Amino acid sequence: MADEALFQFLHSELIQYIYKSGANGETENGKNITKLEAMGFRVGQGLIERFTKETPRFKDELDVMKFICKDFWTCLFKKQIDNLRTNHQGIYVLQDNSFRLLSQLSAGKQYLEHAPKYLAFTCGLVRGGLSDLGLKSVVTAEVAGMPACKFQVMIQKV
Amino acid sequence: MSRQSNRTTDNKKMNSELFTLTYGALVTQLCKDYENDEEVNKQLDKMGYNIGVRLIEDFLARSSVGRCQDFRETADVIAKVAFKMYLGVTPSVTNWSPAGDEFSLVLESNPLVDFVELPDNHNVLIYSNLLCGVLRGALEMVQMAVDVRFAQDTLRGDNVTEIRMKFIKRIEENLPYHIRFF
Amino acid sequence: MTVHNLYIFDRNGACLHYSEWNRKKQAGISKQEEFKLMYGMLFSIRSFVSKMSPLDMREGFQCFQTSRYKLHFYETPTGLKFIMNTDLSVPNARETLHQIYSTLYVDYIVKNPLCSLGDPLQSDLFSARLDTFIKNLPYFNPRAA
Repeated sequence: MADEALFQFLHSELIQYIYKSGANGETENGKNITKLEAMGFRVGQGLIERFTKETPRFKDELDVMKFICKDFWTCLFKKQIDNLRTNHQGIYVLQDNSFRLLSQLSAGKQYLEHAPKYLAFTCGLVRGGLSDLGLKSVVTAEVAGMPACKFQVMIQKV
Repeated sequence: MSRQSNRTTDNKKMNSELFTLTYGALVTQLCKDYENDEEVNKQLDKMGYNIGVRLIEDFLARSSVGRCQDFRETADVIAKVAFKMYLGVTPSVTNWSPAGDEFSLVLESNPLVDFVELPDNHNVLIYSNLLCGVLRGALEMVQMAVDVRFAQDTLRGDNVTEIRMKFIKRIEENLPYHIRFF
Repeated sequence: MTVHNLYIFDRNGACLHYSEWNRKKQAGISKQEEFKLMYGMLFSIRSFVSKMSPLDMREGFQCFQTSRYKLHFYETPTGLKFIMNTDLSVPNARETLHQIYSTLYVDYIVKNPLCSLGDPLQSDLFSARLDTFIKNLPYFNPRAA
């Protein structure tokens, strides 16, 4: 059993490492985000692989998304997603009003420019989890004021 | 429904897996970025140190542990309180040096290496080296300079995982400037 | 009953945070001078107290009082120092200072990777939570003193 604080500190170090080893600048920032996202993806896959073996198949796409919002989120961040919306055409918006990895950074606009790097790994976790449940997707995050944030999931039809 | 009950039992495990898997992803990334294992070991130690200097504050805030009187007490607190709190395991404290300035933490199982197998071309890699950095950083913040290294590692075929800790010195606090009282 | 002001120092003597609520008189020197003076005094009194102690003790210096105010001191094993001045009616503020450390400093500074340890505390979230915390203390009363 590993403690939550330990994961938070590790997550911060990961970001710091990726940003230190990569160069600065706009395009580099994009590369760093991609790297973090890719790491999250592998971890998300691993998590689902180990924990959904015995769970029955999901009814449909929406059922999978509900699983991500409730069970998956609670395991990882000790709370559920506060709001799930969909256009019923493969786009889902998951809103967390107090996202665990932002809640200690700021309650507003301070440090807002740093928010994307604290979300990239989690975007990867979601995409990795979904991919292991058979859904190919693109996951992005958006923050207007911390600690709230929105994850947008676009399911790619095969 | 059966699905519900299955999932709740999985929750706790999944949370600890998050840490283990993230750590694995980090080591993989480092192995990609650096040419030799020694550099990876160094980097892991450095990152561990950065974690340690913060983790100690979390530890002191959450446990009611105060300043330790001696190195033996420190050893016990690390093994019985800190390891238990953060990794859910309690290593045994053994192999004290006659002078009482060196001991080993012996772990029957190391949560960091669940599901890990070292590939053959990484025989210098100390996979869990982050732990050494964490311990070094945390102890430095409570005024103890300590040398920490892996003496045995199950990943390298040893029966147990052993972390060797050697007390170097107490870091004295000094007044950083001259004060003029009026 | 009232709280006058609060200082937080790191183990190297840098003042990480200062805020005041009901302070009616300033020291008449620059804030930087004041912080040095405060830290120097604490450093000396702390060593004095333990050197002169006729008994073994775990906790050393805790507070002093004058005819008008009381200074409360709490130090963590990592050398962070929390100092609060209150009026004389506040019996013991060590628990309060410990809480500022364990629930505010640790949560909003230590767990905020954007705050480098040892730098003056910049987090607005920390300042806001601290202000609320102090104002909610049973002995905080803005009109008193």
